[in-house]
Amino acid sequence: MAQKNRDYSKRTSLRLLASLVSPYKALLAAIFFAAICDMMGMLFIPTQLSAMVNVAVNSRDMSALMGHGVAMLVAALVGSGGYITTVFLASRLCAKVGRDLRMRVYDASLAFSGSDFNAFGTGSMITRTLSDANVVQQTLLMSILMIFPVPLACAIAVALAFSTDAVMGWVLLVVTLVVIAICAIAVAKSAPIFTRLQGFIDNMNTRLRESITGVRVIRAFGKERLERARLCETFGDFATNAIRVNIVFALTDSITFFLMNAVEAAIMWVGADRVGAHAMQIGSISALVEYAMLIMMFLMMAQFAILQVPRALACLTRAAAVLSTEPEIEDAERPVRLLAHHAEPGEEVARFDHASLRFSDADEDTLHDISFALRRGQTTAIIGNTGSGKSTVAKLLLRFNDVTAGGLTFEGVDVRRVSQEDLRRRIAYVPQKAWLFSGTIAENLRHGDAEASHERLWHALEVAQAGFVRDLPDGLGTRVAQGGTNFSGGQRQRLAIARALVRDADLYVFDDSFSALDYKTDAALRRALAGELSHAATLIIAQRVSTIHDADQIVVLRDGEVVGLGTHDELMSGCPTYRAIAESQSRGEDAHV
Amino acid sequence: MPMSSKAEKDLELDELLELERGGAPTEPESCPESELEVPDDALGTARRLWAAARGQRWRLLVAAVCSVLYVAGSLGATAYSAGLIDLLWGNIQATFETGAPFVVTLENGGLQILTFLGIWTAAWAAYTVQVLVMASFAERLNLSLRERIGEKLARLPLSYYDAHQPGDTISRATNDLDKVSEVLQRGLLQLLIAVCMVGGAIILMATYDLVLTAVFVVFGLVASVATKLVTARTLKVAAARQAALGELTGRVEEAYSGRAVIKAFGREDASLAEVGKAADRLMETSATADFVTNAIAPAIRLLMRLCQVTVGLLAGGMLVMGQISVGVFQAFFQYVMQASEPFTQLALTVNMLQGALAAAERVFTFLDEGEVVPDPERPAGLPEPVIGRVAFEHVRFGYSCDRPLMRDVSLVAEPGQKVAIVGATGAGKTTLINLLMRFYEVDGGRITLDGVDTRELTRAELRRQFGMVLQDAWLFEGTIAENIAYGKPGATREEIEAAARAAHVDFFVRTLPHGYDTMLSNDAENISQGQRQLLTIARAMLTDPAILILDEATSSVDTRTEQAIVRAMEAIMENRTSFVIAHRLSTIVDADLILVMERGTIIEQGTHAELLAAGGAYAELYRSQFA
Repeated sequence: MAQKNRDYSKRTSLRLLASLVSPYKALLAAIFFAAICDMMGMLFIPTQLSAMVNVAVNSRDMSALMGHGVAMLVAALVGSGGYITTVFLASRLCAKVGRDLRMRVYDASLAFSGSDFNAFGTGSMITRTLSDANVVQQTLLMSILMIFPVPLACAIAVALAFSTDAVMGWVLLVVTLVVIAICAIAVAKSAPIFTRLQGFIDNMNTRLRESITGVRVIRAFGKERLERARLCETFGDFATNAIRVNIVFALTDSITFFLMNAVEAAIMWVGADRVGAHAMQIGSISALVEYAMLIMMFLMMAQFAILQVPRALACLTRAAAVLSTEPEIEDAERPVRLLAHHAEPGEEVARFDHASLRFSDADEDTLHDISFALRRGQTTAIIGNTGSGKSTVAKLLLRFNDVTAGGLTFEGVDVRRVSQEDLRRRIAYVPQKAWLFSGTIAENLRHGDAEASHERLWHALEVAQAGFVRDLPDGLGTRVAQGGTNFSGGQRQRLAIARALVRDADLYVFDDSFSALDYKTDAALRRALAGELSHAATLIIAQRVSTIHDADQIVVLRDGEVVGLGTHDELMSGCPTYRAIAESQSRGEDAHV
Repeated sequence: MPMSSKAEKDLELDELLELERGGAPTEPESCPESELEVPDDALGTARRLWAAARGQRWRLLVAAVCSVLYVAGSLGATAYSAGLIDLLWGNIQATFETGAPFVVTLENGGLQILTFLGIWTAAWAAYTVQVLVMASFAERLNLSLRERIGEKLARLPLSYYDAHQPGDTISRATNDLDKVSEVLQRGLLQLLIAVCMVGGAIILMATYDLVLTAVFVVFGLVASVATKLVTARTLKVAAARQAALGELTGRVEEAYSGRAVIKAFGREDASLAEVGKAADRLMETSATADFVTNAIAPAIRLLMRLCQVTVGLLAGGMLVMGQISVGVFQAFFQYVMQASEPFTQLALTVNMLQGALAAAERVFTFLDEGEVVPDPERPAGLPEPVIGRVAFEHVRFGYSCDRPLMRDVSLVAEPGQKVAIVGATGAGKTTLINLLMRFYEVDGGRITLDGVDTRELTRAELRRQFGMVLQDAWLFEGTIAENIAYGKPGATREEIEAAARAAHVDFFVRTLPHGYDTMLSNDAENISQGQRQLLTIARAMLTDPAILILDEATSSVDTRTEQAIVRAMEAIMENRTSFVIAHRLSTIVDADLILVMERGTIIEQGTHAELLAAGGAYAELYRSQFA
């Protein structure tokens, strides 16, 4: 069973590799040609050298000697040129393959829903996108440089030997086959140890990371000694295995070395016989010795490279897992297009109709049977304890998740029948965690609307109470660090609000966006928004009662269910949960006043 | 928190915001190919390595002797082969003159061929002894250094950990030592072999012909100078690649963290294009870097081939003129081949050696880091039973001496009280934990537990009284049961399950296919952040501490888990003095004592009502955050 799985994953990874390389057939062909030049050049040098000796001892013809010298020079240039070209082309090919793999994984990730993505995890996705692709790239390069030429080198060398003398050709062929067999055995023997060694390296890294990141917990529990023992154990395991690998390598090295000597002596003996039988000339002996040495050298190198291959295949399999994941949320085949909006106040923008959501791995609904509508010109607020399912409502609207029962319509159309792009273009969203991207403030704001004018950006900033941008020396051109970390939490939040306001949307969703703001800013912002968003529906998800006091309707959520729906005053009298929230929050107010 | 990169990310951001931290995070996790690094004190580092190799030195000596024997053998074999070829050629020609075909027998050269094989076999034997003796030398040395690192980790003060990225320390124990072992394993002897081989070959060549030898030496010198020059260039392209990789990594991390925003604003295509641009740059730079790195050797080899052509022509001419014999010609050529490779390797090996010494130096620097103050020789004991009264008395503290955070802080947590710690992100709430647990030492004043100065206790004794549940729910690779029993290794399965039940995580664990024996591992994200935190609560529960330090969960937890955490925390806080980093309104309002933190110090303390009435920072914070 396990064997079958491995075969299956090997096949998947090889298929992925083939699809990655296939766009570059011309490059591959060029590499192949360059590699042939390299091999020919390399093997022709001893050939020409022996020809020189033969000329020198037989005809003593100086010009023929010069001719072979020139041929040797050409062989050197073609050979080295061929190899350098191979390196050049192969580096390019592998860099392209690496890039393509990264981009394919990244592209696939963009279609993932939150659950799809979390099934892999951010850390793992980053590894798959970056370092896995790198391993694949480097291993492919090494394979092209060190494994790929071996059959070529062997074939050309044996052919040259046959062309010198048939008997010597057979000798070389046998030598080649024996060395290949030895190398194959060595690889088969060392591959599992080598794979295990990789595991020990990972272990070592994991344990080290654990004992460093967990240093507070370890010391809190007084476990320093235990951790040290665990660490030393992994160090010891690694050392034992590394030594084993070294010994296997040393033995292979030694056997090959011995073989080289034996082969050289054998070629001298048999070669002298063949010279004695007038089958070949004395100079050719050294050429044949050289062929044999080159073959062995190539096989040694290939052996080393082959050991790296399983790791790269594992990386490919991991990438293939991402690429083959079917996104949970996909557009309908023939999506319905949303009509251009006509801003009628009171018109329904979106409606939850007995909507429920249950995550595939859960046994309870996260949202259960919720019904309410969002209308133009109206502000709807959702309040409830942390984890009552408030943010999930926003996720349904944006189709980050799909309802598992009931329905959700946008402008009368089931959201599942609308393309995600079309739907999201109608919504301006301020996430709970105000995330900005590296670039300038203007670039970030234009995420809302790529075409927005300067005036519009400034206007959005004013409404969002982000006037502080005016005081920055570079204004809209101010650099934003990755994630927006060069701004305070409140500033980030206001910029995220401005980014949403830049968009001309039918629905504005503020997911707990006011909690990082102080009271005064919160109030000013809400006042400014009121006039701004009269053409659209507004959904505010909030923790503070004061933030949503004036909303046209308030949805009270508890454990994923709607336990109250109405205005502040209605809920104060009719909804105990709401009253409890309001009272717990006003306690402080009263004490203060 | 080895298992949650999400939490790691959050923490990093918080750390960036954390004010007044000792040192800044240093160095990225992996240095660019640092072969050209130069150690500050090469000799001193080499001496320390030599000292560290105690017990293994004989291996180095045996290997050195064998290497020299190997070089002598292989050069000797080539010299012998010159005479051998001449002998064979002479015998062949003599036989040809008689008109009979020539067949090798023991008498007419066969014995010499076997002698030749014998010389090679001697060289081979020396070589084999050398590689086998060295196979374990470097790893044994590394193991002893790694064990010292392992010991060191337990004695480093927390300030070291807070000032250094984990990757920095990890890479010393792994990459740096690997570099050392690689060089010790092969490089050192390669250098020895290369020097002997080149030297010996040149001397032997010179005995045949001085002009040809001079040609070889000139080419060899040009090759080594070229190697040095090109290597400098590789460093530059490697740095460019590293920069491009850094940029792409930043882009991808950012995009993965901001996925919701990208999707909400329909920026998938734009983001794909941005990442694509960075990926293109990485493609360009890495194609160049790979090319340059891999093309050095063949380029140098081309030089040596040109040398071979020149030597071939000159020697061929001499052969034609009868100035040298066939055997000498071939032997000379063999020397050129034998010495070419080591010649080009010399320059690279010297660089590698330097890099390895620099790496070893980093390891030694780490081993020389300052350590924590040892526990008192005659530690005080705590009165039994520990009731959990914690007091700060005029505590003065700062992460660095010139920037004090706490100037004069006093507070008392009575047994069983709930103390809430509030403050904005980065206000230094962890500082308090650091001092309570003696992760850091106070600069002045004292902290007492049940009236005993915590510095008079052993750290183990002090920390045994505390249970800690932090948001970065650190668990190790092992089963769930092992993780829960971390603080009480002898715990029975019943005790473990009871703790899990009290922490409201028992049900969840039972739904897992392997229950309590489920392995928690690095990449399996089968356990959510919230569930991890529940496991850490169970872990703390099992040790039954007198005092608790809790970090309330913030938003990244789903409803049910959130509720479970709240209930579990309420359960564990019962009848214990507890310090809670609070985000939850109810916790704060109900607290017996609220500590308001800002810039690493406590700026206000009191009950909710007192603080609101005071109208200070708390009132402000409360209104802005919780009202």
